[in-house]
Amino acid sequence: MLFQLNFKSGKAVYLQLVDQVKLAAAAGTLQAGEALPAIRPLAEELRVNRNTVAKAYAELESQGVIETIVGKGCFVRTNSSPFKKDVRRRLLAESIDEAVVHAHHLQIDRGEFLRLGEDRFDAFEQKRARASHV
Amino acid sequence: MTNHAPAIEIHNLVCRYGHTDAVDGLNLRVAAGRCYGLFGRNGAGKTTTIKCLLNLIRPTSGETRVFGLDPVRDEVAVKSRVAYVPDLVAFYPWMTVEDTLGYFASFRRHWNTATEISLVKQFRLDPRQKTSHLSKGQRTQLALICAICPEPELLVLDEPTSGLDPIVRREFIQTVIGAYQDEDPGRRTVLVSTHLISEFEGLIDEFTIIDRGRNVLTLDADTARERYQKVHARFASDPGPLDLPGTRILCQRGREIEVIVNGNSAQVMEQLRARSPEALAIEALTLEEIFVSTLQPQEAGA
Repeated sequence: MLFQLNFKSGKAVYLQLVDQVKLAAAAGTLQAGEALPAIRPLAEELRVNRNTVAKAYAELESQGVIETIVGKGCFVRTNSSPFKKDVRRRLLAESIDEAVVHAHHLQIDRGEFLRLGEDRFDAFEQKRARASHV
Repeated sequence: MTNHAPAIEIHNLVCRYGHTDAVDGLNLRVAAGRCYGLFGRNGAGKTTTIKCLLNLIRPTSGETRVFGLDPVRDEVAVKSRVAYVPDLVAFYPWMTVEDTLGYFASFRRHWNTATEISLVKQFRLDPRQKTSHLSKGQRTQLALICAICPEPELLVLDEPTSGLDPIVRREFIQTVIGAYQDEDPGRRTVLVSTHLISEFEGLIDEFTIIDRGRNVLTLDADTARERYQKVHARFASDPGPLDLPGTRILCQRGREIEVIVNGNSAQVMEQLRARSPEALAIEALTLEEIFVSTLQPQEAGA
């Protein structure tokens, strides 16, 4: 199964789905142009309210991660955030700030943090490369 | 969705049996298209509330509206849009599965035969079997088919899965999600009363916990899981008594402490972190744990 929900994470269930689709798209598990499962079978499989899945898909669509083709379903888009570059940078800066705070409390310094960033980028690139070779 | 009347609206419902107040001033509002959980212990007043909604018993006082209609005065109009699966399902024992479905269909203006056929097949029911020969699980499955085929706007489930095996319970919930909710989701409302909360965890988007006929807690499910969290901390040495306002201490044994926070997790985490714990972890409560923690009497000293 592609998705794993955790009711104990404290994160809204639809947001968990949003994050997992985004992760799968970034890691190449879901390729651009690939179809997402339809709402009903996915809701049945995860045993969640279909509204939860519909809400997640709507959120993904508004973030430009997927697109809905009427009568066909939802598909992963090639990178196409609806936001302008400066908005995108600001959104990312917010997440990086969190990581910087986290790093401070874990006594990870700037150099180590940046090296780790490089490593993680490499890891995702390798995952994507492996996914596209299968 | 907002211009529809709510599927269910209950104001100050009181229902007395002799000297017992089964329901004692209950309020409930269920918007159309929601899947709403009514949680409570045995005898909390869940079934009585449901029976008042369906005009199976008359409340002592209070106001009940289903789709904005009065279930007593507009009984037919309400019942034609509602279906009900009770916890104890009874059919005429001499009828077969086929007869029973035909009998139920004869009361309905609308009946989706394609759904009937596919569900009978999915549940592996034998149409020619007498209902008296069905197992408890099969009887519940038949009741669910009878409830879904008329495609009601409101599906009321009273302890539907208690006493069923795990596979039947799973199938039951999948059918509610799939066969029932899939078409026209904005107008398909589910009210489910249960104390087997974990099974319905993913299905429920809003719930009310009732106790002794009164509301104890009404919340959106995602909000509830965000607000109620369990924090566990372990210190290098016994920290002594900790003053953590707005929390409930579950247990404190030596160096370890476990507390339930209610919307103040950031503040509590900060307070605990200031004492440099060896380990600090936080996780959300499931709806079932929220239920237990809401209804459990406060421990002395907590």
